[in-house]
Amino acid sequence: MNSLNIILCAAAITALDICIFVLVITAYCEKRSSKKNWHELAHDMELAEQDKIYDLGCDEVLIGRHASADIRLPDLSVSRYHAMLTVSNGIWTIKDIGSKSGVFVNGNLIHEIILHENDVIKLGNRRLIFRKRRQERVR
Amino acid sequence: MKSIKRTQRVTSLIILLFIIGMAILVLKIIHESSFYMMNSDQLQLGYVYDRKGDVLYDGTGKGSYPDNYFIDVGNIIGDEKGQMDNTLVARNLEKLNNYNFSDGLLKDGGKAAIYTTLDHAANRAVFDAYGYMKGCVSAYNYKTGEMLVCTSLPSLDVTKGYDNIQSFESATLLSKNLYGTVPGSTQKVSTVISALEIMGSGLLYSKSYTCTGKYLNQTGGEIDCHNAYGHGTQNIQEAFENSCNPFFAQLIEDTDLPFERLKKQYEKLGYVLNGDKPKYLDIDGIQCATASTTLENPLEFKTQWGCIGQGDTLVSPIQLMMWESAIANETGRMTMPYFIDHVTNTRGTVKEKAKTKYSDKLFSENTASGVKQIMLTNGADRYSYLISGYNIGVKSGTAQVQEGAKENSLLVGFVDDPSFPIAFCILIEDKDSGWLTTENIAQVLLDNLKNNF
Amino acid sequence: MYANPVAYIFSCIFVIFAHSAMLVNIWFNGNFSETRDIAVLGAAVIILDIAFFVVILFFKQMSYVLDFLLILILNMSVIFQSCFICKFNIKHYITCIICLAASKCGYILCKNHKILQSNKKYIYGGIGLLLLLVLIVYFAKHDMWIRIGSFTLQPSEFIKPLFVLACATSIADQQKKHKILIFNVVYENIALFCIMAAICLVQVKSHDYGSLPTFISIYCVGFILRICYPKAKFSKKKLVAVIAIIVVFLLIGLKYAPEYVQHRLHVDIWSDKTGDGYQQSQALIAIANGGWFGVGPGRGYLSNIFAYDNDIVFATVSEEWGLLFALMMVLTILIITAVPLINPTRSYYHATMSSCICAAFIVQMALNIFGSCNLIPFTGVTIPFISSGGSSLLVSGFMTGMLTAGQSPVFNEHRSKSKSKSKKQEEAVPAWRWKE
Repeated sequence: MNSLNIILCAAAITALDICIFVLVITAYCEKRSSKKNWHELAHDMELAEQDKIYDLGCDEVLIGRHASADIRLPDLSVSRYHAMLTVSNGIWTIKDIGSKSGVFVNGNLIHEIILHENDVIKLGNRRLIFRKRRQERVR
Repeated sequence: MKSIKRTQRVTSLIILLFIIGMAILVLKIIHESSFYMMNSDQLQLGYVYDRKGDVLYDGTGKGSYPDNYFIDVGNIIGDEKGQMDNTLVARNLEKLNNYNFSDGLLKDGGKAAIYTTLDHAANRAVFDAYGYMKGCVSAYNYKTGEMLVCTSLPSLDVTKGYDNIQSFESATLLSKNLYGTVPGSTQKVSTVISALEIMGSGLLYSKSYTCTGKYLNQTGGEIDCHNAYGHGTQNIQEAFENSCNPFFAQLIEDTDLPFERLKKQYEKLGYVLNGDKPKYLDIDGIQCATASTTLENPLEFKTQWGCIGQGDTLVSPIQLMMWESAIANETGRMTMPYFIDHVTNTRGTVKEKAKTKYSDKLFSENTASGVKQIMLTNGADRYSYLISGYNIGVKSGTAQVQEGAKENSLLVGFVDDPSFPIAFCILIEDKDSGWLTTENIAQVLLDNLKNNF
Repeated sequence: MYANPVAYIFSCIFVIFAHSAMLVNIWFNGNFSETRDIAVLGAAVIILDIAFFVVILFFKQMSYVLDFLLILILNMSVIFQSCFICKFNIKHYITCIICLAASKCGYILCKNHKILQSNKKYIYGGIGLLLLLVLIVYFAKHDMWIRIGSFTLQPSEFIKPLFVLACATSIADQQKKHKILIFNVVYENIALFCIMAAICLVQVKSHDYGSLPTFISIYCVGFILRICYPKAKFSKKKLVAVIAIIVVFLLIGLKYAPEYVQHRLHVDIWSDKTGDGYQQSQALIAIANGGWFGVGPGRGYLSNIFAYDNDIVFATVSEEWGLLFALMMVLTILIITAVPLINPTRSYYHATMSSCICAAFIVQMALNIFGSCNLIPFTGVTIPFISSGGSSLLVSGFMTGMLTAGQSPVFNEHRSKSKSKSKKQEEAVPAWRWKE
């Protein structure tokens, strides 16, 4: 084993390391851009309660009392799995998935309906508003 | 979102487990790499030195040495060629190999070496003293455990290779010190230890039995004494000095020596009884047999004959020597012998410095000093003119082998001198084939060790 | 359109840079008899890099990082495999191009999960067909490979991506419950269990125990990510009980496993160095011989040992390039599976898919590396991307494509009525507002 071998091998390892590092940084850049992209796709909506804001981060959002629900409403009037929000083609839809107390959108009991901005969703005793995301930072 | 987070958690768990596994693997590889390399075809071995820096084995094969320079330690130091398995080099290739994980295998300039505690000059002198006779000698410092002499004849010069392996005498390729041999009367040391431990010195010294040259035991077995005219009535000290077989047969039969406790004490001493699985001592990787015998019924010939040192009894010389340390130290604990003082790695850094270790307690301090006194008295009465210049405690033995066709001569003992603490075991095979006696060898051994101590 | 042009250019440069560093190492340290071979190898690698960078631009993905990682690892494997035989390994090169193509196919097929979900029955059908093929091949020839020219295909490998697709699920699917007696069940989960059982049976029948752990791990991940939903009260106690039962079954399975499997579990490689432990002991010696920095590309002696390029490839790379480089190689594959951790997917279907793929890759890699290094019994599985072997590479590429699909998903549902209904959500009139 000569020193040239060690140096070159170390150089190759370093190059590979740097490359991996750069790619990880790229992945972080893409995280930011794909987040932006997602907000465009999903029309930048969010669900808001009086003091809480729920981000809609994926295309199926499960609302319920159970711990595995994406949006957890710890209230006995809400079923374990109460309703699900889905997005497709940029349109959000809410669907009742066998809740006991039903899903009310703007006061009407529904099974499945397309949501519009500022629709009020009532699940049991909880009221949520479907609205445009507030920008936490000025662009 | 919570659901996506959950999948991420599962993924990270899997990756984490894998990384842990990988870390274990890397640590394992680094830790064991020299062991892996030892199994490779390529080896770059270093030197084995004796206690004064004299070469005992040259792994590089580059040095030139006088003819038969290594013959005295040939079958204990051994070599890497695989013909001898139970040798220092074969069992410690890993330490001798000039390899470490970060530097790789060093073609030259590696400083890996084993520094042994052996004394090449003393080994040589003892080896030469044997002449054409065969046998083995082991000696060690019973305070520290350093093996000083470990030679076995016939032996070989490892530098000459194995081309004429067919013409080698039997037992050339193994060190007799490591394997069981019939101890003869040296077994009586163990029996005295056991009797003293069980009965206590007062009771034991009050016992006396009569020897008429032959003793017919209670089951009709006949125990012969080497003195056909008999030794008359003796106590334990006299019987020990006379090495009287009928006395010991009667001692075994005595109801004051409960047989179950005798068996327990024998097992404590390291004997494997009645054909159980053999036990081995590990001395720097080298396997050394302990002792075995048959103890079934105190009234039967076979058991009595076993306690006298014949019959099924087999003890390795190193084990005999180690018992002497427990006596000489008056602690009842054996000093564990070692060959390797320290090793150096490829860069010459000293590591694995040997430490003195002791065995479990085999018998009480009182027993130890009692037996020591008996042996020292024996040494003073019978051997002071045969081995001059040392205050020694000894027990000799004559073992019949090959169905009584040949007789081996044994001598175990220790030097009672805090500045020269040597315990030894000497074996001469087929003693009637020459004039050499164990006392001659002991004199040569001790003189040579004393010169360089 | 792609939003990170700077990151894209830097990634391109550094991928080529990493490959060049390896090529330089070969140039000075390699054991190639002719410099022409090195030139050919270098040209092939760099051209493939550049060509791929241009081609991927046409796919209009949101995320390209997986493509970069894929080309990085694939060209690394081309270099490794070429060094093993000391000349340009054209066969492996072609396989790698096929692998790249497969990754793009995987991306196109999987980017819209709604389509996949509506066609799940075809996936089940595909798995069934492949299982049948495995059985036919086994009973006809008593091995696991179909040979086409100099390429060998292993049908059981192709089950993996389909099985991953079958295991992946959306939340909506898990809410389609049906009541049988008193139990709420999801038909899909039962179907999946049946498929798993069938795969296990076929694999055991055709003596392909090596890929069994991969399927089991995929299933386990799929199962864990499903059981949160079918019944709201799926407690941890029940989960522990299920795991305990699985462990017991595994132990029973091991106890009554066939003779040669038992033998493999107990073999001590160092006492049987020339027999059953030959490959592993040689692999470990090779790693020890390589040390941290290796003996130089093409200078290892492990490349004379059977299965040097797939079963014990980790040791071969380790010997020639050093343990550090081999670990970096493993790290690259780990990063491929870890991309969904950095940039989370936007749908549960893709997320479960990514987890299953991660499980498949890592379990295969673990079986290979730990097996060849004697931590666990030796099985003949391949490291994804690195090992030679057509079907393995093809499938690994396809699965990477599936990961890419999770990174650049499309959420379009093809339904005619949505056209008429689709109103711009912004147009809606606020009906009610919070007092703020």
